[in-house]
Amino acid sequence: MEKLSGYAFVAAMLSTGLATIAYLAYAISGLRAARMQTAGMPSTTGALGFVSGPRTAAIGRYATMLGWMATIFLLAGLIFRSIVAGRGPFANMYEFSLAFAFGVLVTYMFFERRYHQRILALVALPVAGAMMVYAFTIPATIEPLVPALQNNLLLTVHVAVAIVAYGSFAVAFAASLLYLLQGRWALVAAGMLIAGIVMAPVGLVMGGITGLLGGLLGGGVGGAISGYIAHWAGLGKSFEGEASGRWGLPKPQVLDEIGYRAVVVGYPFLTLTIILGAVWADTAWGTYWSWDPKETASFVTWLIYGTYLHARVVRGWRGDRAAWLLVLGFVATLFTYFGNLFFGGLHSYSGLG
Amino acid sequence: MVQEAGTPPIGSAGAAAGPTATGPTAMDRVDGVLEGLWHLLTSMRVAMIIMLLIAVMGVIGSMVIQMPSGVSDDPAARIDWLNGVRPRFSLFAAQTDIMSSLQLFEVFNSIIFRILVALLTVSLVACSLHRIPGLIRTATKPRVDVGAAFFQHAPQHETIVARQTPAETRALVAGVLQRRGYRTLVTEDETIHVYGDRFRWMQFAGLIGHLSLVVIMAGAILGGIAGYRDQDFSIAEGATRLVGTNEGLSVQLVDFTVTYDQVTDMPSDYASSVVLLKDGKEIDRHVVRVNDPLRYGDLTFYQASYGSAAQMTIKDASGKVLTSEGVPFSWSLNDGDRSLGILSVPGTSYTLWIIGTSGDSDTRVHPGQVEVQVFNSGAASMTPIDDQVIDQGKAATVAGMTMTFDRESQYTRLSVARDPGVVLVWLGSLLLFVGFALRFMLPHKRVWGRITTRANGAIVAMATLAQKDAAISTDFEDLVNDIRTALQAPVQA
Ligand code: HEM
Repeated sequence: MEKLSGYAFVAAMLSTGLATIAYLAYAISGLRAARMQTAGMPSTTGALGFVSGPRTAAIGRYATMLGWMATIFLLAGLIFRSIVAGRGPFANMYEFSLAFAFGVLVTYMFFERRYHQRILALVALPVAGAMMVYAFTIPATIEPLVPALQNNLLLTVHVAVAIVAYGSFAVAFAASLLYLLQGRWALVAAGMLIAGIVMAPVGLVMGGITGLLGGLLGGGVGGAISGYIAHWAGLGKSFEGEASGRWGLPKPQVLDEIGYRAVVVGYPFLTLTIILGAVWADTAWGTYWSWDPKETASFVTWLIYGTYLHARVVRGWRGDRAAWLLVLGFVATLFTYFGNLFFGGLHSYSGLG
Repeated sequence: MVQEAGTPPIGSAGAAAGPTATGPTAMDRVDGVLEGLWHLLTSMRVAMIIMLLIAVMGVIGSMVIQMPSGVSDDPAARIDWLNGVRPRFSLFAAQTDIMSSLQLFEVFNSIIFRILVALLTVSLVACSLHRIPGLIRTATKPRVDVGAAFFQHAPQHETIVARQTPAETRALVAGVLQRRGYRTLVTEDETIHVYGDRFRWMQFAGLIGHLSLVVIMAGAILGGIAGYRDQDFSIAEGATRLVGTNEGLSVQLVDFTVTYDQVTDMPSDYASSVVLLKDGKEIDRHVVRVNDPLRYGDLTFYQASYGSAAQMTIKDASGKVLTSEGVPFSWSLNDGDRSLGILSVPGTSYTLWIIGTSGDSDTRVHPGQVEVQVFNSGAASMTPIDDQVIDQGKAATVAGMTMTFDRESQYTRLSVARDPGVVLVWLGSLLLFVGFALRFMLPHKRVWGRITTRANGAIVAMATLAQKDAAISTDFEDLVNDIRTALQAPVQA
């Protein structure tokens, strides 16, 4: 059974790779159709702004099928592993990474069904793929749970809920990235680079190895700020409100909307994850909150998405600024996820010593 | 002064003596300041800035190592701790001290953090209070007869031409709204005004979601003020220790076992078998495990960690046993290698430091030995009055007492907690989740309709304040479609 789950994971990884290629082919085919459309050749523009040529739709269907296959293989692998281990597959970094990948795949497929935006896969699938590749580089042994984790029900629910939240945030990230890519991307990339370069040494001074993450976070913040300055100064051409996306990508408003919908799904799940984590900490250690780095990181993530929701709903932020908050939120999500590799603390169960 | 002589305002007994700052202009100024403050506190922009600033504090707090709780209040422990981390922050000489005075090692206790959290709390309350009247009004007395201009400027609006009479149209439109779950209100002057809403009470779910955060914060503060917490309740096997709550409770550790997994050699279970005593009498027995604490009333004992202990017997000069108990090696000496247990000998003013070996390479304390340093707590001097290394199983005379290091045993470290605020924290958490989940799942919806007469039929204008959704058709669009279909159905003969 353990072998079987291993095979399922390999199959899932291959399907994800193939699906990514198929989605890429789909995107290229769409791009060509967009060019041909400007040249006056036959093609159709969907209601949501994606242009498709004669073969595009067929390629898209194959890509979707491969995406579902990857999801199902991954699910099967996780189920097999749970059966062998006699608990949810959430005990070490290996299992958790695969579960994270599953979360991203499942939420992506869900949003694809609902919004028919296959292009999001170009970001979401590589995120899931990277998680799987990462899982294959670390030990896969089935370990017994350390005493602190021996609370099956809470563990399973806590992590399962977290995965849905992370998956939704990955989808929101995909949407915001595709959004930003159509805009002032050169400025943005430069801002991220500069901020990353500045922030990494600062991080190093403050916390050694975590400097790396500091740099990453700094890059996100810096990019957000430079994007915002660019927006404020009116640099570059705004494309908000354009009827169709650039380079055959979806319409900006659609991406903006999907980003929001994904956060609306993810936010309550993140809230629940944090609450369940607190309940668990209270039963295991007698303190529901101890500012352990992983707790803190999840709290920061929660605040960032909370700010995003207010920005969008109450202050009517759309477009650039909202998209940047989503990028920042996803950086924080990754920070939360990888945090325990760097920080130790109560969550140091990664099994990577 | 403008005030009438016969009716001095309360509390202004001294005011008659001369001009004071309570003149109308000053009051106006105070009013202005208060109004500005209120405006600031209910401002969304300010709330967002506060939230992001707290997030920034969180990032710092998770990147820079934080002082364990308990260390920060104890000046000596604080200095020790700072010296311990100094090598990590040695880019320039004063780095650690500068970081310490900026409270970077205790971000979540820092003044700035407290201020930010307080501001957020006040802002949450202010915001909620600010919104309540409006929410009640839209739920109970919504405006039904909006003007014609609204139907041209609302974010989503549609016009439908009907063949039916206005009265028939009105019935059909109301019918569609009701079928879709809307409550409908209608008023009629020369035109017919239709209003429909769904989930009008769900606005309050959002409000409750916000206020629940205040409940959680109140729980945390209550726990901090009225709670009891001892995270370092160490007991050696065989020993009994008094709980610091002054209720006559004590805990005896019968034994402690660690089970290791046969394959990975990692600990798979810690179990402390304990007896709970009140005024010396047994009242409960329990095996405390990581997810299975011992509860007594509102006091809870959790398994925290464990380690080794020295079983010591100490007799006075006449041979009377002063104490025979396990001393947990729950401290470590500054050199970091040797473990330290501290024992105050009952009936004397002596405090013993029992120092364990650091292993085979230890030239001072060999394995199978302990070093005993005797301090007289009555004396001001910090130097021991006697200091000897003794062998296991052999009685030795130290500072006039007979001491035996019987054997090595184990100790368990429990965490004792009483937290009356935790109920509020869970209640708040529940409201937080349910509040926001409901608000997202059942969003409050409102539509307005306006039916006017035309030559042989009616014109229906529909509008809503909800934004158009670029990605999928909105409820409003579906609703308008339904109304269209209903109006197109063949008119009954
Ligand atoms: C940590 C603190 C806070 C959290 C987690 C939070 C969370 C939320 C969430 C999840 C929503 C729903 C957004 C949506 O519909 O998509 C919301 C809406 C809103 N928030 Fe907050 N909020 C916080 C603080 C505040 C503060 C301080 C204010 C006032 C200045 C405020 C005012 C509002 C308003 C007016 C709305 C829109 C109406 C409503 O949803 O009921 N919030 N908030």
